[in-house]
Amino acid sequence: MKVELLSVIGLLLCLIIIGIEYIIHYRLAERQDEHSVRETNINRRMTIRVDGVLRAPTRSCLDSELKAIAEDIDGNYEAYEITIQVMNEVKEKRGDSVEKLIDEVKNEVKPVEIYAQMLDDGDVYHKGYALRRLADLGAVEYKDTMIECLDSKNRDLAYNSAMALALMGDVENVARYIMSIENDRQYSGRIINEFFDDFNGNRADLANCLFEQCNDYMKSTIIKALVPYKIDEFRPMYLEGFSGKNFGMKVACIKALAAFGNPEDEQLLQIAAKDKEWVIRAAAVRGLSLLDSPSALKSVKTALTDKEWWVRQTAANAITNMDISPSDLEDILGGYDRFAADAVKAVLYKKIDSLA
Amino acid sequence: MTFLNAVRSFIIVFNYFCMAFTILLSIIYIIQMFVSLFRVRKNYNKHFSDDFRRYVDSHNLLPISLIIPAYNEQENIVQNIRSLMKINYPSYEILVVNDGSTDKTAELVISAFEMHPIETSIRYQIPTKNIRGVYYSKKYPNLLFVDKENGGKSDALNAGINISSYPLFTCLDADSRVERDALLKLSVEFIKDSRTVVAGGIVRIANGSKIVDGELKGFSMPKKLIERFQIVEYYRSFLSGRVFWSATNSLLIVSGAFGLFRKQTVIDVGGYKPNTIGEDMEIVVRIHRYMRKNKIKYKVIFNELSICWTQGPMSLNDIRSQRRRWQIGLMDTLISHRVMTLNPRYGMVGLLSMPYNWIFELFGALVETIGYFLIPFSLIMGELNMFFFVMYFLLAVMLGVILSEGSLVLEQYTHRAAMSAKQSISISIYAILENFGYRQIITIFRVEGILKYRKLRKTWGKIKRKEFEQ
Repeated sequence: MKVELLSVIGLLLCLIIIGIEYIIHYRLAERQDEHSVRETNINRRMTIRVDGVLRAPTRSCLDSELKAIAEDIDGNYEAYEITIQVMNEVKEKRGDSVEKLIDEVKNEVKPVEIYAQMLDDGDVYHKGYALRRLADLGAVEYKDTMIECLDSKNRDLAYNSAMALALMGDVENVARYIMSIENDRQYSGRIINEFFDDFNGNRADLANCLFEQCNDYMKSTIIKALVPYKIDEFRPMYLEGFSGKNFGMKVACIKALAAFGNPEDEQLLQIAAKDKEWVIRAAAVRGLSLLDSPSALKSVKTALTDKEWWVRQTAANAITNMDISPSDLEDILGGYDRFAADAVKAVLYKKIDSLA
Repeated sequence: MTFLNAVRSFIIVFNYFCMAFTILLSIIYIIQMFVSLFRVRKNYNKHFSDDFRRYVDSHNLLPISLIIPAYNEQENIVQNIRSLMKINYPSYEILVVNDGSTDKTAELVISAFEMHPIETSIRYQIPTKNIRGVYYSKKYPNLLFVDKENGGKSDALNAGINISSYPLFTCLDADSRVERDALLKLSVEFIKDSRTVVAGGIVRIANGSKIVDGELKGFSMPKKLIERFQIVEYYRSFLSGRVFWSATNSLLIVSGAFGLFRKQTVIDVGGYKPNTIGEDMEIVVRIHRYMRKNKIKYKVIFNELSICWTQGPMSLNDIRSQRRRWQIGLMDTLISHRVMTLNPRYGMVGLLSMPYNWIFELFGALVETIGYFLIPFSLIMGELNMFFFVMYFLLAVMLGVILSEGSLVLEQYTHRAAMSAKQSISISIYAILENFGYRQIITIFRVEGILKYRKLRKTWGKIKRKEFEQ
């Protein structure tokens, strides 16, 4: 009897769960419908409004259109972002004249207030989003809140506030955040790359601040992140790092030096092109290709016969950018090394096609 | 003891075994569902603050090689390449690997994209069948067409890996469509955590949906019952199952139709295993095995917000062929890597995921099918307590409904459902109906796969699928 009773209770319980699931499902589906309708409406309405702003014949018309946009947005961040997105699309076609209108829309709508509201009311995810948007808008008055959130236990919020501070060019606090994840190797590489990319202050100051405190792994990651910016003041450090024993540092430094394409570094790059590690050889070949001297050309040609595929491929890509004579090119194409010839042919085909 | 008594005892023992099996499986499924519920909720919120679109212009995003193995795909291939050219990703190349097609696949691609043969150096890091030629188009510089001798899907993928230039690659089926932002969302997983070696997205049934250039433009309920059941089935399998296994870093399968891999890791494990029909599961299990054996930290991730659309089979015969193939693929992989099962060296994969797949995914179908045949037999023998039978059956059905409906709730929660509220509720009716007939038929197909393992383990079979609406 007890087992039978338990079975019936089990069944009833299942029925109740199914009922609850159906109710939740229905409510969510209804919300989804409302959301879709709202989104379509916002899209349509804001596109019309933007059109009105763009076509306003007089200043007073423009003012009234701007007011209408602000009324329509009414603190809704989605509507604001759609408006800016639509205007940016138009800007791509019409050019900078639209930029001024975007600024006027921003003045009228006051997006800082919208995101400040989100910052006050939202959960950690909305807070993080709001912080970054506020930084985009240059809302310095929220810098203290950003610094406060930097110490949050929630990793996403801390990351978003550090990103916001990077957008504002705050060396001290960004460095503090990066140092706090120094030992988290899975995470720190990405952070360093992203933060140096988006940093709106002096990158050399940020790097210097970090170099003073960080370990070698972090240092080499920072050097790699700095490669595209070619910061001259770090050249002595790169030269020192290349002659050191730390492999990661050696690779980072040769990559950084290669990016400069400085004739003074040719001898060093020639040595690196003969290194036993292919990563170093490939980086050196890339650097040599920027020099365009006969000896550099000779080394790149030699690299075409390297035992490592990547080095050969890098050399093939590099050689077509150098001042190579037709006879040299014929030598390679008709040479005994099929891989070198193939690699150069492939690059040439693409180059010729892109010119045609 | 007479023979009859022995049979009676067996029936009683088996009935209890079935009951225990069902209860255990249901408990596991319910745990999976709850874990998935929290994960999906968290990921959905996190996705908002991550603001993945800002990565579109970032050079930190790793470039991707999209490898499309094509064997007799003349109906879909050109359309699929065109749709891939519109994806939202800063740097990618498309490699179409023609695996010795006997139809007009090669001619169609070459003429549609004005391609011409080029000589190029190929780094043979994984052995493959001979590559006959590589074609390039000046109009579409990020497209390469590789013509090779027939060697199967794995061989075509390996050839694609050899010729690819980028550190990440994804294998895409010629008859699937990825959403425009899907690769962006998946790729972000690799920069968010450098340990990530594989990231899989969700595969959804496109039957009834209108997908244009990787964008969902509308949904109408598919005509056939079998297609409607598959919609529910895919939601359950992906949103409940894979989210859970990914949370424990023991996901054993990333769908062959849509997965993003770190190329060097796949090369390190020796590439795709040739002559296997479950290559998508096999490669992931081999990666787990290699990484755990060599004590390398890694992650296999499932991202439920990256979507790939596929046309589900439309006839019972095609679905039979598909499910048989899946079951054979599962069995093949489990047998090949049996050493991992219950081996603590392989962590959660060895202790949880592998035994689960052996017991519930592989032999579960056998237990269920034996049950179907034993029930009438038990009735004849007078060993079946009707009350318990009805209760047991109703409980099993209701637990199935709870799980399917739970997945539909999860789907609705992520705001990804293209259906209207009315359509969404009507599709959930199929979460109930699938328990009366469809589920049983699928189970029998799976058992057929187990029984015909030796005979069919190297046969792919061709499934007729609907074309994508233009």
